[in-house]
Amino acid sequence: MTEPQTEPQTEPKTLPRPTGATPSTTRAPRGLSWKARRRGFTVLHRFLLVVAMIFFVAPFLWMLLYSLLPAELLQRRDPDLDLTRITFSEYGDLLTDSSFLKPMGTSALVALLTTLICLALGSFAAYGIARFRFRGRQPLLLAMMATQAIPVIVLAVPLFIIIRGMGLFDTPWALVIVYTATILPLVIWMMVGFFEAIPASLEKAARIDGCNRWQMLLRIAFPLAATGLAATGIFAFITAWSDFFLAKILTASGSTTLPVRTASFQGLFAMDYTAAATAGVITSLPVLVLTLAAQKWIVRGLTEGAVKG
Amino acid sequence: MSIPTTAPTAPEGSRESRADRRRRGTDSRTRGDRRFTLALVAPAVLVVAALFAYPIGYAVWLSTHQWNDKISPRHPYIGVRNYTTLFESGEFWDAMGRTAFFSVITVIGGVALALGLAILLNQDFKGRTLARVLLLVPWAVPPVVNGIMWRLIFDGDNGIANTILRNLGIIDENVQWLADPDTAMNVLIFAEMWKLLPFLTLLLMASLQNIPRNLYRAAGVDGANAWKRFLHITLPGVKGALMFALIVQSMWSIKVFDTIYVLTGGSGGPAGGTTTINFLGYLTTFSNLDRGYGAAIAVVIMVLVILTTLFWILLLGRPAGGPSRWRRKPGATADVTPSLKEPGRDELAQPAGVAGESQ
Repeated sequence: MTEPQTEPQTEPKTLPRPTGATPSTTRAPRGLSWKARRRGFTVLHRFLLVVAMIFFVAPFLWMLLYSLLPAELLQRRDPDLDLTRITFSEYGDLLTDSSFLKPMGTSALVALLTTLICLALGSFAAYGIARFRFRGRQPLLLAMMATQAIPVIVLAVPLFIIIRGMGLFDTPWALVIVYTATILPLVIWMMVGFFEAIPASLEKAARIDGCNRWQMLLRIAFPLAATGLAATGIFAFITAWSDFFLAKILTASGSTTLPVRTASFQGLFAMDYTAAATAGVITSLPVLVLTLAAQKWIVRGLTEGAVKG
Repeated sequence: MSIPTTAPTAPEGSRESRADRRRRGTDSRTRGDRRFTLALVAPAVLVVAALFAYPIGYAVWLSTHQWNDKISPRHPYIGVRNYTTLFESGEFWDAMGRTAFFSVITVIGGVALALGLAILLNQDFKGRTLARVLLLVPWAVPPVVNGIMWRLIFDGDNGIANTILRNLGIIDENVQWLADPDTAMNVLIFAEMWKLLPFLTLLLMASLQNIPRNLYRAAGVDGANAWKRFLHITLPGVKGALMFALIVQSMWSIKVFDTIYVLTGGSGGPAGGTTTINFLGYLTTFSNLDRGYGAAIAVVIMVLVILTTLFWILLLGRPAGGPSRWRRKPGATADVTPSLKEPGRDELAQPAGVAGESQ
């Protein structure tokens, strides 16, 4: 089993190490000395790295700044970044506004329920797929991946009509149902990888010691996969929390979610920038915290399937 | 940290006998095991099947009916007329063109940039872990927030992008980025790139880490320069992950929606300049309430996604993502790392091949 997340003793590929008898030192340098070329590479490498990191982080920090500074400082031709005037008033306004707090609650409820259902159904299925060879196993895994090729818009109208027919339109339950369906295949996909990483010999030993199949599953396999379960759960939560399209279609004012509410700060022409930025930060914060807390395992779960071949 | 990541101790291969599997307790051919497996797998499969198969069938059925409550409360069957209307409409082909433009740039450009970034991050440097954590920020930010963020930055009157570009002397006067169809599309591409690059980079990085380092060292001995090493070691090493990246990114690019919605205030504007095919489907169904026609667009999108996926598979071979799961048994070592099993032999054998190619 490959483990992409262990910090490997990386040896630079294009920059051989200066110490030791690295092969490149034997090569005749062209023009510049080898040392100078290596330093040049290093400088270029660090420069590109810093540029990339600024690119990835700066936009978010800018939004954060926008949410903290009074609008009149920023909404002008040349913004005035007077950090002494930082204020949390917009956060105070939003977090006491019931039309914002209610979507927050709905989002949390929907994302949590979806995560629990997905984990319950998905981890059992993933265990079955990871441990047993049965007819239709491979088509099943393929089908799980194929669901991701189906554009949500194909499902949108029928789901809208079905959900309305069931009388669930504009309720959190509608969202829990459709999120479970769309996220479950991914949960199974990730969990299969985590279960496959556990040696089957432990469960075999448990069987010999007299555990029945369910005990083996619940007492041996699940505890061993706890980290994987947590990471997959966080992934499911993030996906459900962040969805916009289905929430936009399947809810109205009654049980709208946080992303839909956040998007509503921006009209076609006008936009309340400070409120939108603040809502944006609030919407991102839970998923950012969860991602950074579990980054190692999330990355592993996301990339594992693709790097084995 | 509690997941042991060692490979299963028992040898696993497709040629493994039934008796072997039973001994390891992974054969589902005993009746109890079969029942157990069914109990585990069936509930999830039923949920997914019900909520995918039925709506897809429904969508196809809808697409053959005239279903617009604005026009008529009746929903007559009209055969393929929704599709013929669609293929004759300029609006549809405009949206297809925009989708193609957007997708080609985000897929090809995105994967290429991600490979560069992955190589950059795969080097040895202080703060490597920090860099990888920071990389996850765009991945985690919800798409709606992504749209808001870039709208703040590219605002025509007081966006920071204009301020920076003016101070650099690149533009003289403020540009109304989101008011012109062409620049709006470019802002959209920029915003999507920001969001999609981290995942692709992490994917390719994980694959890069599977390439044995000694291949590079050996190639160095044989005098292969950086470009040759990239061409003959790096590219073949990440081929599988590249293919997976191209396929998933194609799916996502064709399906782009949230960022367009927020960047353009839900209009797909200006002047329809960012109305990709998926957005057209949304506008038709939920603004014009033309459900039959909208369903036809949705079905076309689905076919488009499937065709694109097939295109990549036919062009590049079988995708490595996932499918490695059903080609290989768990614990099998990947193709690119045969050396992990026999480091001694590999160090001698593999570089010879590389050197041979590079001479």
